[in-house]
This record gives sequence, C-alpha cells and structure tokens, in this order.
Amino acid sequence: MKPTLESLRACLDGAVPSVVATCSPDGTPNVAYASQVHYVDAEHVALSFQFFSKTRENVLAHPYAEVQVIEPGSFRHYRLKVRYLRTETAGPLFEYMKAQLAGIAAQSGMDKVFVLRGADLYQVVDIVDVDPHLPPAPQPPDALLRLRRTLDQLGACDDLARLADRALAALTPGFGIHHALLTLLDETGGTLYTLASLGYSASGVGAEVALGEGLIGVAAREKIAVRINYRTGDYTYQAALRGGDPTAPRIPLPLLGNPHSQIAVPLLHGERLLGVLYAESEQDAFFNHTDEDALVIYGRHLAALIAQFAALSDDAEPGPAAPEPCVSGVPLAVRYFAHDHSVFIDNDYLIKGVAGSILWTLLNEHATCGRHDFCNRELRRDPRLALPDFGDNLETRLILLQRRLADRCPAIALEKTGRGRFHLRLDRPLALEAR
Amino acid sequence: MSVLLTADQAAFLQGPVSMNVGAVGRDGWPCVCRAQGVLVARDRRALTVLLSSARGHAVLDALDAGNGISTVFSRPATHATLQLKASGATRTPLSAAHRAVNTRYAAMLGAELGTLGYSETLVAGLIEMLTSDDLVALRLTPEIIFDQTPGPAAGRVLARA
Repeated sequence: MKPTLESLRACLDGAVPSVVATCSPDGTPNVAYASQVHYVDAEHVALSFQFFSKTRENVLAHPYAEVQVIEPGSFRHYRLKVRYLRTETAGPLFEYMKAQLAGIAAQSGMDKVFVLRGADLYQVVDIVDVDPHLPPAPQPPDALLRLRRTLDQLGACDDLARLADRALAALTPGFGIHHALLTLLDETGGTLYTLASLGYSASGVGAEVALGEGLIGVAAREKIAVRINYRTGDYTYQAALRGGDPTAPRIPLPLLGNPHSQIAVPLLHGERLLGVLYAESEQDAFFNHTDEDALVIYGRHLAALIAQFAALSDDAEPGPAAPEPCVSGVPLAVRYFAHDHSVFIDNDYLIKGVAGSILWTLLNEHATCGRHDFCNRELRRDPRLALPDFGDNLETRLILLQRRLADRCPAIALEKTGRGRFHLRLDRPLALEAR
Repeated sequence: MSVLLTADQAAFLQGPVSMNVGAVGRDGWPCVCRAQGVLVARDRRALTVLLSSARGHAVLDALDAGNGISTVFSRPATHATLQLKASGATRTPLSAAHRAVNTRYAAMLGAELGTLGYSETLVAGLIEMLTSDDLVALRLTPEIIFDQTPGPAAGRVLARA
C-alpha cells in the first residue's frame, strides 16, 4: 500500500536533511540538499527557496523533481515524485516556512545564510516507500489523548480569569508543557497583551507583542499555528518583539532566554482572532506535528470559551456599598499621562491604554464620590473610556488591571463581587495627579 | 575527458559523508537514491559508487539507459558538500574490495552520526540499512565538480574537464 503524505509528516520537520533531484533541459541531473520540505496538505509540499540555485533554475524550466525524505526515528527513506506549481512570497505558507527555517538554520549553524525568498509549492504525484522492511519509528505520544487530558484538567471555569490560568495550567499534565503564555488581541487589533503566564519567575501580565512580530505576532497576523523545533538565534523569531517607541514604558515578556522549541497557536473563534497561545521548551523538537494539531484544536476551544464569557450579560448595577475601613499611611503618588493613558505609581510604571484609563476613572470616582463599588455596565457607558463594543475586551482588561495591581501595587486591588461587578479596595491614601 | 580530483577532495568523498546519486529516468522524471560507499581510483579521475539494487532500482534503470549521473556528498557535521557530475556511469563487477569499502563506510557514517547525538539504536539501524547484500558498483569519470555547501556560493564550479 502506498504511504500517504499525511503519514510522512514526521519526515517533513527538518530533523534529517532531504535531497531533491531535478533535471536541466538538456537532461543533466542535479541533486541538492533541501533545507526544508514543508507539509502543506495531503497533496502538496513546499520547498524553501533561499538562493537562485540549480534546483530552482531546473524546475522553472522542467517542473518535475523527486524529493527523498527520511523518517527521523527510523531512517526509513521515502521518495516523493513532485511537480513544481508556483512560488509564494507572502502569506501564511511563506510566513510559516520563514519562521520554521529560522529554527532549522540555527540548528544546523546556518543562521546567517538561510533566508527565505519564497515557498516553492509542489504537487505530490507519487510516493515510494524505499525501506518497507525496516521497522517504523516509535510512535510519538498520542496527541489526542494529550488533548483529552488537557481538557479534563481545564474542567468547568466560571469566569474568564480562572479560565486564563487553568488554560495554561492544564497544559502541564496534558502536554508536559511548563512554559506558556496566553495573549489576547487588544481593541486596536495591532497589539497583543499578556493576560496569563505559566512557569516564569515574573508573570509578565500586561506585556505587549506587536502584530506580525516574533512568533506570537506572526501566528496572530497570519492566523496560523507556527512551530519551531530548534533553538533560533534569529532575533525576528524570538517569541515577540516590541515595536513602537523604545523609550515608552514597557512590561517585559517573561520568556525563556534560549528556547529550543516554540509553538504559537492562534485563538480563533470562527474567523475572528481573539489572541495567541504560546508555549516553549528547553528541549529540541519538543512539539511534534500532532501536538501542533491538538494545540490548534485547544486554541479554538479556548477561543470559544472566551467568546462565551464575553456574551454573558453583566449584572445591572454595582453591588451594595459596604463600609470601608479608614486608610492611613503615606499617600501613594498616582500619576496619569493622558496621551497614552499610562499610570505610574510612586514613579513605577503600572499600566497604559484602556486598562490605564479604566484605573484612572475608578480612582477619580473614588476621590470625588467616595465610591468603592462599580460595575462593567457603567464603564461601558462612560464617555471618558470610549470602550469598544466587544464585551470580552472590558472583562479581560479588568483582569489584566487586577493582575498588574497584584504584581506591582497590592495596596490597590480590584475584587470581583459578582458577574460584571467589582470592588475597589485601597489600603493606602492616594495622591492623584494628571499630566 | 575527466577532472582530476584533489587529494583533499578524494579524502572527503571517502570520509563520513552522506551520499546520494541522481539520474533522469527514461520518462524524463529525475530520480535519486542513497549511495552506500565510494571508492576513488588511484589516479583520482574515476569513482566507483555503491548502490543497493533494490533501493536504487530507478536510478540504475536510468543509468542503464545511458543517461547522465549526479553524485552529491555531504558531511553531516560540517554541511560541506560536493556535487560531481558525469555524462554516464557503467556497472562494474562487485569485488571484495567494494564490500570492504561498504562495510567501512557504513561504520564511519554511523560513528559520525553517533557524535551528532543520534541514538545507538538508530545508528545500528542505519548501518544495517547501508550494508545490504544487493550492492551494485557503478563506475563514473566526473566531468565537473561543484561546491554545494549551503550558502550563496553553492553551485560554484571547482573543476571542469
């Protein structure tokens, strides 16, 4: 029985180099090593186009080639008879291969010479199993079982904050993942911000990633899962780069300094991107293609749950006001910069953007009216905030704010008192100053 | 006419390199097969490449038809790669020396891969695969040699007949 292309995906991860045979118009054969043979779908592979090589010259003139791939765990060889179709120089396939090539290049010490110019797309017309007598590679862990275990661990979550934490925590018993981030797309659609993290010394909550930059940004912009199997020194494939003004206040991402394996999976609800789930490991080839499949499903599941929370209606009014203890001590100096809605507490950066704006509004309400209890609904109607329509955005911004305060300024706390209701707890007096 | 391999090139080809042979089938479709050892002639103007007749069926058929041959040799530890081409190759009787070359080559490549982190089981499997008993010896006289080491200089002609 002929092997299917799907059954050869382990051969297409770049672990063992593949070779490609082509032929020039005068019938001269050429054999070259292919840095990357990428699985596209059940009938297509793509080869990386890095240099104007003889292979490329040949297939442009005579589009028939044979690619020999090797199963890493068994050294079984397979030959793919392929026909060149076209070259893609932008879009999801190109971006995925570019990211993955960075990993392959670094693994083979070729960081400086491997630059992707295009993804050459080939139709696979036949597959030959060269070594049918050799034993197959050991089976990788069952990704479906891993996914099921992860979902069992995730269980039922009754609010978004718990979901964010459990979504990451469940990856440890499920997939053996110990380092992960959950990032969500902000209201501008141009930046992702970290809502939760797993396994780092600092939480990194609030840290931002620009769309299209780094592995997380590419996964978000292209709405594709991107997996790198080997350590890459290519800075553009660090999990994230931060665009914009380098002098602006920032929260650092708490990533591993030298990850050997990385995966970024979009959180897609229908066609709508809600964020990116990112995981990394210090082991080479930690995530295989079946893990990628399973994590893509997990990403869709999480996105559906996030969207479901967003669709729940808020309680109508703030909760009843409870008596507040008098606070004393040296006032906290809270400074607000209107141009980017950033908030500093005792000169330390806390938060900016929508979350900064919400905090400033709450603190002012408290200062002028003595209020401690608030509800989401009034924030949505507040003209000072100009919130977008997406309900989940407000809720996630409140979680972000709550976590940043817990990280950086426990004297100010937001405590949930019901669906869409929360209480502002202050342990120190405040001195508010707007600039 | 054939090219004269340098002593270094001859040593490289007979070292712990991964080797593959390409040809163009009777139907015009290129084909490729892993080779299982090489012997450089004393005058360094010819090579004998060893293939498994089962694994190399398509390549052998293409060469029997009188088509051209390409051989590529790449050292896994350094990625240094050479490609040698000839307008054809002919079968030559398999000798005891060829079998010895094959055994030595499989052990040498296995040891090289072992130093690169491949498991003992995997290396043992590779050695078994490369020491098949259906070897065919192909003799060719290279007419052109290319540097095929990955990078912008890949494809540079090192020697031409």
